[in-house]
Amino acid sequence: MAAALEIKNLAVVYQGVIQALSNLSLVVPPGSIVALLGANGAGKTTTLKAISGFLPLQDGRITSGSITIGGEDTSNLAPHVIVRRGIFHVREGRHVFAEMTVEENLIAATFAQRKSRPRKAAFDEVYGYFPILAERRAQQAGYLSGGEQQMLAIGRALVADPQMILLDEPSLGLAPLIVRDIFQIVERINREKKVSILLVEQNAVIALKFASYGYVIENGCTVLEGSAAALSANQDIQKFYLGVDAHAG
Amino acid sequence: MNPIIVFAEYSAVGIAAGGIYALIALGTVVIFKSSQTFNFAMGEMMMLSAYFFYTAAVIFDFGLLPGFILALVGSIAVALLIERFALRPMLGRPFIAIVMVTFGIGSIIRGLVSMVWGPTDLQSPAILARTPVMIGSLFIPGKTARAFAVAVVIVGGLIAFLRYSRAGIALRAAAADQITAYSMGIDVRRVIAFTWVIAAITGCISGVLMANVNSLTPNLGLVALNVLSVIILGGMNSIGGVLVAGLIIGWLESVTGFLLGTEFREITPYVLALLILLVRPTGLFGTAEIERI
Repeated sequence: MAAALEIKNLAVVYQGVIQALSNLSLVVPPGSIVALLGANGAGKTTTLKAISGFLPLQDGRITSGSITIGGEDTSNLAPHVIVRRGIFHVREGRHVFAEMTVEENLIAATFAQRKSRPRKAAFDEVYGYFPILAERRAQQAGYLSGGEQQMLAIGRALVADPQMILLDEPSLGLAPLIVRDIFQIVERINREKKVSILLVEQNAVIALKFASYGYVIENGCTVLEGSAAALSANQDIQKFYLGVDAHAG
Repeated sequence: MNPIIVFAEYSAVGIAAGGIYALIALGTVVIFKSSQTFNFAMGEMMMLSAYFFYTAAVIFDFGLLPGFILALVGSIAVALLIERFALRPMLGRPFIAIVMVTFGIGSIIRGLVSMVWGPTDLQSPAILARTPVMIGSLFIPGKTARAFAVAVVIVGGLIAFLRYSRAGIALRAAAADQITAYSMGIDVRRVIAFTWVIAAITGCISGVLMANVNSLTPNLGLVALNVLSVIILGGMNSIGGVLVAGLIIGWLESVTGFLLGTEFREITPYVLALLILLVRPTGLFGTAEIERI
């Protein structure tokens, strides 16, 4: 079976001079959860932007390497075309449309559907995973709490019925309990709907708990990869990303 | 005659005239919201539409309704051409450069219209009845009152469209956050082109009405400069704001004309715009982060 997403030796430059990625490779098999770990500025978000076609909108460019989705090269496609191929990017910082209601936010996401499906079925599915959104459906999204906004951001992805969700920092600024809830729902979505997830997280502990495989990037290069268990056991990972002091005691 | 009645009458006439300002301003604001482009050619687009209507309805004698539909189609085609070939290549350029492009397009249209149709006044066909409308004991000229009614219907329809239709939601999404709109499969460039279609529609209707209330000249579009003050007053990015502001400016023009003499009428919108820029640059209902012209 072809990988859902495969990136080979990707290099990305912003504004013609700033090298954000120099040699990044990764594979996301269908139905898996893959974590992308790394420090601030390592190139995690740039990787997601390259996949979803946002780079040209921010004066960035792929200078070498390839991105294939289901075996097809997508590196030259426009973002609204890529999402309709089934790759939905849930951006860092949630970016709900604050002045629109919860339901209008979901309607906006219907433009991402590969094939249209009844609005009610799509929304009921979202409200099934996130019952709180059903209660808030007529409220302006700007008045939702941070956790609810993150749920809405993921809910918009569900409306599109994607093959893969690119999930950027879903834990950002949220209380640990809410983060746990959201990750459990994401895992359910992954399991029940066979949606693969490429997860970017600062919080490596929770990322490796839910992911099956992970990549570590530094300065725009893949430097380490392995199963979540192997990465969790790796001493460098423990020291730099998991906050475990290997020499403690 | 009772001066209070006269004042009320001038007020009513002014508000009625303001309806068209609101209609023109709406077309301008919809474009601004989606692409941060201030379209200085709005007045000329409107004037060109009125000439299209005159040509189809009078010169070719197709009749009023077919003439209007042809004018509408022509206006939309021109708007799409402007968007595609003059403004889309400017994407990402500085605000002032884009504004100057629209200014240039306005001058080109005005020059071309003078060349093709001549600089003199033409008599636009009567589409609005002249019989005056009485509200209680207030007397409102028939054309002004009917033009206002048309403006209200069109503005109401557009607002309902933006609020409830799926395309309206796409438009608001693109206006709020282009990258996120793209991430949901919304083709933002198409949305921007679509806002030019909306501007063409409001421009065409207001142009035809305006030519009917006044007369048809290549300077018809200068009225859109008054609309600049409407937009400054209402707030560049607030649809509700410019609707209210349109009525306020129309009213103010009319009552200053009555109280101080017609020579003050012309300068009122600009004086008000200047005051607003000094006191509250975001306008009555606008939000900050707007680059001023």
